[in-house]
Amino acid sequence: MSSPVLFVIVGRNEPLFEAEIDTAHSSAIDSPGGGGGGGQQSELSTRQNYFVLHSALDLVEKSAWTTNSMYLRVVDKVNQQQVSTFLTAANVKFMLLHGGKGEDVIKNFFNEVYGYYVKLSMNPFYKYDTPITSKAFDARVRAAARAYLS
Amino acid sequence: MSSSSKAQAGQALWSKMPKANAELFALTYGSLVTELVRDYEDPIEVNTQLDRIGHSIGVRCVDELLSKADLAGLGASSTMCANLRDTAEVVAKVGFRMFLGIQAEVGGFSQDQRSFSIYLQENPLSTFVELPAAGDDDYQYGAGGDDLRKLKYSNLYCGVIRGALEQVNLKVECNIVRDTLKGDELNEIRVELKEVLSDGAGDDYKEE
Repeated sequence: MSSPVLFVIVGRNEPLFEAEIDTAHSSAIDSPGGGGGGGQQSELSTRQNYFVLHSALDLVEKSAWTTNSMYLRVVDKVNQQQVSTFLTAANVKFMLLHGGKGEDVIKNFFNEVYGYYVKLSMNPFYKYDTPITSKAFDARVRAAARAYLS
Repeated sequence: MSSSSKAQAGQALWSKMPKANAELFALTYGSLVTELVRDYEDPIEVNTQLDRIGHSIGVRCVDELLSKADLAGLGASSTMCANLRDTAEVVAKVGFRMFLGIQAEVGGFSQDQRSFSIYLQENPLSTFVELPAAGDDDYQYGAGGDDLRKLKYSNLYCGVIRGALEQVNLKVECNIVRDTLKGDELNEIRVELKEVLSDGAGDDYKEE
């Protein structure tokens, strides 16, 4: 069973990018900042998802020192939900909340997104460590999520 | 000199040029443009500045092109342009190839043969670049996203062509009419000949 996944990029002080992606129906739900999903139930679970993801940040800091690799695997588990994290060289955190996908699958997804992120940061109009507003980046991440995680 | 031999000459010159890393080049130009955007805040003014910088580059470039073309065994006679069509070919096939290593096409001559277009499939200046979307109000450089649509990111080219041709007595006006950054499928630079300046020094300097 595939469930919606939540992907967040966290910079030094604030989240830079958020995307909630419904891999089951291969259609993307708007990120909650842009108007939330339909119904009270999904609103509630969205908030809970954010809570789980953000509370995992401390664990990310901790597990960052236990490995040499950028991919930190699953750093936190709450009920049936897991938080996987990827740390870029500049200490930007890619975090993915999911319902238990294969580690390699997620690794591939992170690597793909890392490529897009590097390309984005090469754009002279993007200032490092600021929220990502590029629509193209958003579309690419969603496409990658659908390709790898569904 | 035919069009294909110009392309060959451009290729030969390009192979002899010292190379710089394309990414470094693109990023350097990118920071230059963003710095200008930050300093001037008005995209129109940024366009003017880019044109001015390009002009300074162009007036130097043309000498390098002519001297190297000589060395490459093309001879002064074969680099001589008989008409604007020839000039356009040299700018596109030799100039762009020699300095940037990219392929440029010439076309769109007007009826009176006084204006033409240079088409660039690829643009090494705008690698990685994505203009901020329109209506992006919280864009940090002061200028609204809507305004940045007026920014001609690669306006440097216009200045270079203008400067280079000015040195060989052709007063031209350049304009970027199509830009891949703005969603067009290729870049098009429109060049219009304003006047052919009279050659040499004024009467005062003539030998008796």
